[in-house]
Amino acid sequence: MAQQNIKNKKLGMKMKENIYQTVLWIFLLAVVGTMVLPFLYVIVVSFTDGSVYEAGSFYLWPKKWSADAYQLILSGSGFLNALKSTLFITLVGTPMNVLVCAGLAYLLSKPVPGRGFLNKYVMITMLFSAGMIPNFMNMKALGLIDSYFACIFPSVCGAWTVMVMRSFFQSLPLELEEAAEIDGCGQLRMFATITLPLSKAMLASMTLFAFVSYWNTYFNAVMYLTSTAKATLQVYVQKVVLSSTVSDVVDLQLELAKTVPQEVMRMAAVVVVVFPVLIVYPFLQKYFESGMMVGAVKG
Amino acid sequence: MRVEQKRLRKRLFQYRWVYVLGLPGLLLMFFFNYLPMRGLLMAFQDYNPHLGLTGSEWVGLKHFQTLFHDAKFYSMLRNTLVISGLNLLTFPAPIILALILNEVRNAKFKKFVQTSVYLPHFLSWAIVASLTFFLLSSEQGVINKIAVALGGEAKAYLFSPGAIYPIIVLQSLWKGVGWGSIVYLAAIAGVDQSLYEAARMDGATKLQCMLKITIPSIMPTIIVMLILKMGSIVSVDFEQVFLMNNAMVKKQLEVFEIYIFNNGIAGGSTQYSYTTAIGMFKSVINTSLVLLTNWITSRKGYEGIM
Repeated sequence: MAQQNIKNKKLGMKMKENIYQTVLWIFLLAVVGTMVLPFLYVIVVSFTDGSVYEAGSFYLWPKKWSADAYQLILSGSGFLNALKSTLFITLVGTPMNVLVCAGLAYLLSKPVPGRGFLNKYVMITMLFSAGMIPNFMNMKALGLIDSYFACIFPSVCGAWTVMVMRSFFQSLPLELEEAAEIDGCGQLRMFATITLPLSKAMLASMTLFAFVSYWNTYFNAVMYLTSTAKATLQVYVQKVVLSSTVSDVVDLQLELAKTVPQEVMRMAAVVVVVFPVLIVYPFLQKYFESGMMVGAVKG
Repeated sequence: MRVEQKRLRKRLFQYRWVYVLGLPGLLLMFFFNYLPMRGLLMAFQDYNPHLGLTGSEWVGLKHFQTLFHDAKFYSMLRNTLVISGLNLLTFPAPIILALILNEVRNAKFKKFVQTSVYLPHFLSWAIVASLTFFLLSSEQGVINKIAVALGGEAKAYLFSPGAIYPIIVLQSLWKGVGWGSIVYLAAIAGVDQSLYEAARMDGATKLQCMLKITIPSIMPTIIVMLILKMGSIVSVDFEQVFLMNNAMVKKQLEVFEIYIFNNGIAGGSTQYSYTTAIGMFKSVINTSLVLLTNWITSRKGYEGIM
């Protein structure tokens, strides 16, 4: 009898636990839905054929698929120019960002004379910003208006990245470097052959952070890149989706432009611009929960 | 003295290549963070681009006086505080998400949820604004399509002064909730597991464990995050507001940076000095708040940002 009771109790607890887990799952699936469904919707609509499209109706699964919208977008010079701009900014900016920050972080991680001052020098940039107009004037004085470097240079050396890298370098074991020093290894070689290889995981995540941030270049481009042909992909997507200046970036005279509904074209533009971020994201994700990233989020 | 100098010189020489490694970063910071600060002088001048910083007339605090008498300034301040204040209401959301995620038994499902909820953090505001458009626009928005299909009427949410603040807040929540939960998940992972075992022995329920063990244990993290958030109360995410701005909600969304951009840079505007003064005011408030909050957190024994 007593045994039966215990058994029942255990069963009851298991039931309770299962119900509890189910409720959690339903709630979390709802949250996930808000994050994932918009993309599925956008992707589905972007592949809808113009002939089955009716304005005002809602699509979960198109009757006829077509990649016309993509063809329309990819054939326009607006998209290709924007892609060129963003690729240049991203491909030049990302390695610069990581190497320059790593170099400075390495300096700050060593007991060099003047370290206190250098630390403050870096921290102040995080605390105080001159503001939009002085930055703009400065860019003008340096002759960088309408140059891609205006979108690259200001975010190459970020105090936050330097500080995260510095704490990482400081956490590396000193023995290796000491041994190398005894063997007569120079400081540059030590940095390149010992410190950097030991920091691969950290550098990888920093690379991906820099990549995403350069890929998402929007406001700096609005401010500094004055010629329309230099607009970045984010400016492009903003023009296609949100403004009335679609004709700036998509050739509406094309035959395709007459058959591809505007809404479908808009969604295709979003998919194309967001695609690379979705591709690098899984690689990025590996590093999220390491302690470094937590410090990073807090900063 | 001479010995010390000699030693210093020796150490400088010893680390010469390390200085070389750090130099590019220091130079970039000089050119793009420090050099622009000379432009702050414009706030105390009637700046004329033809005369330059050295030739323009000095006017002392004139622009700051104008600023404090400008009704627009107070409306910008109000808008900023309203947006930040509403965002502050969503502060518990990442904590709740972390607590719930922590309860999930199935590791694979947990991982899947985490992967999905962190994603929006990496999207640009242009993409987030586009997705919002697809959801809410009056003709192409999903919500309006459903409303019309059900016999209702389409509403122009994106142009509605009453709806724009909730839209802004929901966007920030959507983009930031997952990313914000990371720090709490880490804090929860650091809680001493023996506490839970002891509590379970005493017959504590899950809810009791959460309320009596988990939440008190992560309280220091919660407080630090809250204080940090208070430190950025005069900043809004400018790109977000800039992208959601339109003629109908201009009044609600005019924050400092929007005004500065429209009157100092866009469309051949030339209020350089006044807009610089506004920016400077904002920067000074911001810096003071960050220093203050950092001082509070470090005084309370929690590690601050510095």
